[in-house]
Amino acid sequence: MGVCIQTSHLTKRYGSILAVSDLSLDVQTGEIMGILGLNGAGKSTTLYMLSGLVRPTSGSIHVFGKELRQHFLSISPLIGVLVERPAFYDYLTARENLKLSARLARREVTVDRALDRVGLLSAGRRKVGEFSTGMRQRLGLAQALLLEPSLLILDEPTSGLDPEATGEMLALLRQLAGEAQVTILVSSHMLHEAEGLCDRVAIIHEGRLLSCERTDALLSYDERHVQVLVDAPESAAKRLSGQPWLESVEVRAGRLEVVLREENAHQLAAFLFTAGYRVTGVIPRQRTLQDHFLKALSR
Amino acid sequence: MIGRVWTLYRFELDKAARRRFTYVGLILIVIAVLSALFMRPLTREGQGDYAFIAYATPIALNLLGLFLLVTYCSGLVSTELGSGSICLALVRPVRRHEFLIAKLMLGITYAAMLTAAVAVSAWGIALAFGELSGVTYGGETVFTAVDMIEAYLFGALLVLAPQAAVAAYSIMISTLTRSTGAAIGSAVGILLMVDIVKYPLRIAPFVFSTYIETPWNVFMSYCDGLDARWFPAAAYVLLTSIAYTIVFTAIAILSLSRRDLHS
Repeated sequence: MGVCIQTSHLTKRYGSILAVSDLSLDVQTGEIMGILGLNGAGKSTTLYMLSGLVRPTSGSIHVFGKELRQHFLSISPLIGVLVERPAFYDYLTARENLKLSARLARREVTVDRALDRVGLLSAGRRKVGEFSTGMRQRLGLAQALLLEPSLLILDEPTSGLDPEATGEMLALLRQLAGEAQVTILVSSHMLHEAEGLCDRVAIIHEGRLLSCERTDALLSYDERHVQVLVDAPESAAKRLSGQPWLESVEVRAGRLEVVLREENAHQLAAFLFTAGYRVTGVIPRQRTLQDHFLKALSR
Repeated sequence: MIGRVWTLYRFELDKAARRRFTYVGLILIVIAVLSALFMRPLTREGQGDYAFIAYATPIALNLLGLFLLVTYCSGLVSTELGSGSICLALVRPVRRHEFLIAKLMLGITYAAMLTAAVAVSAWGIALAFGELSGVTYGGETVFTAVDMIEAYLFGALLVLAPQAAVAAYSIMISTLTRSTGAAIGSAVGILLMVDIVKYPLRIAPFVFSTYIETPWNVFMSYCDGLDARWFPAAAYVLLTSIAYTIVFTAIAILSLSRRDLHS
């Protein structure tokens, strides 16, 4: 697996505003990389620079091993771009928009396949001016997928989509990465979506890269925070309170929510067992992306 | 590069063919030619009805046609910047200067279509309801019908040069703003202002808009039975127009290539 995108000290300044600062990032071929951040963090600006739509103030971008600006004409057919709130020619139909877009790349493509992939085949002959926000978003993805790209750059791809369409889009992206080995760089502020989609996530705040880690490592189990399934939880909570190895305990939805000082859940289970309680489960809490995100922001 | 510009040009033509404004402009200019009949009715006299054509053509093209061309071209880039649809084209393997050259080619095509609409309607009316057998003076033919057609056709070709400058000027303004209204307002306003001050400031010979009427001078002289020469006036028209077209296009390319594009 080689490097698909490599940015080095990438910086973008809009007058006095520093939108992206000294961003150095590698995206491996075939992986789904999420760029997460609050609104205005610099996610979109980063993706727009990678798409060639925004000129970096300084730094370099290499895509497929080539400098982007210098080799834009040879690289751009390999990239599918979905900008946030994609705009089309409203007086043309969805099919006509895609046909024109494909013509610019001077490629013969099957427009119907792209429309079908995003569930817009039946609306292909309707003018885009009549489309809802969600349909425009899906058409944007169809346009990005049109040339069967090796790299997809997607800015907030699920923005404006209903839950069902969001699920379909995420499934499609997983399928593309899994079967077609498409590298996907996606920005989002929907952490739960990124959690299920991305192989790695980069967190950007005020234009700076705060962290970039594998998602599965971030979603590991936290054995200090455990849920205990026990008979008589109220009584068990009272027995537990005051133990020196315990930070806090409370009863929530008939379960004990326990925070330990150290990762020693076996000591907790042994204590309850010795005290005569019937313990049917000790479940460590899985860390979420939100935990990591908030931790990264607070640093 | 030529292949990509040609592809972009066809892309622009396809879009233009589906825009209502393209046809509205053509219909309006034909109406302008028809309206000229009220000011200069057909006479069927010795000079023929070339006088009607010589009156209707500059009136339609230089007043309404110029306004239509400026309006049309001012919206070519600003509309796409405003809606974000420019991203649709520029994420594809095309350079920004190629995108602008294709827009300029569309502008010139639109200008040619306006000229053709004026020519067809003016000559059509004169041919159908008037008399176009040449210009006579004292019973003698001074200019034959072929002379008149040649003078008109050369004028129609020559007028493309200042029209190209107008298109380039409007597209340049169009790259400077995301608002189509602001682009049209600025383009028309600046053009009017320059037209007002160019004579008092004695800069008229150096302003491209001065030469918009020049291509019809020979045809108009022929209509009066007077001989006229194309040069050096035609050379002034060409040189000034080409120079301005290059300068305006260069500014537009510089402006667009430095612009950050967001949806």
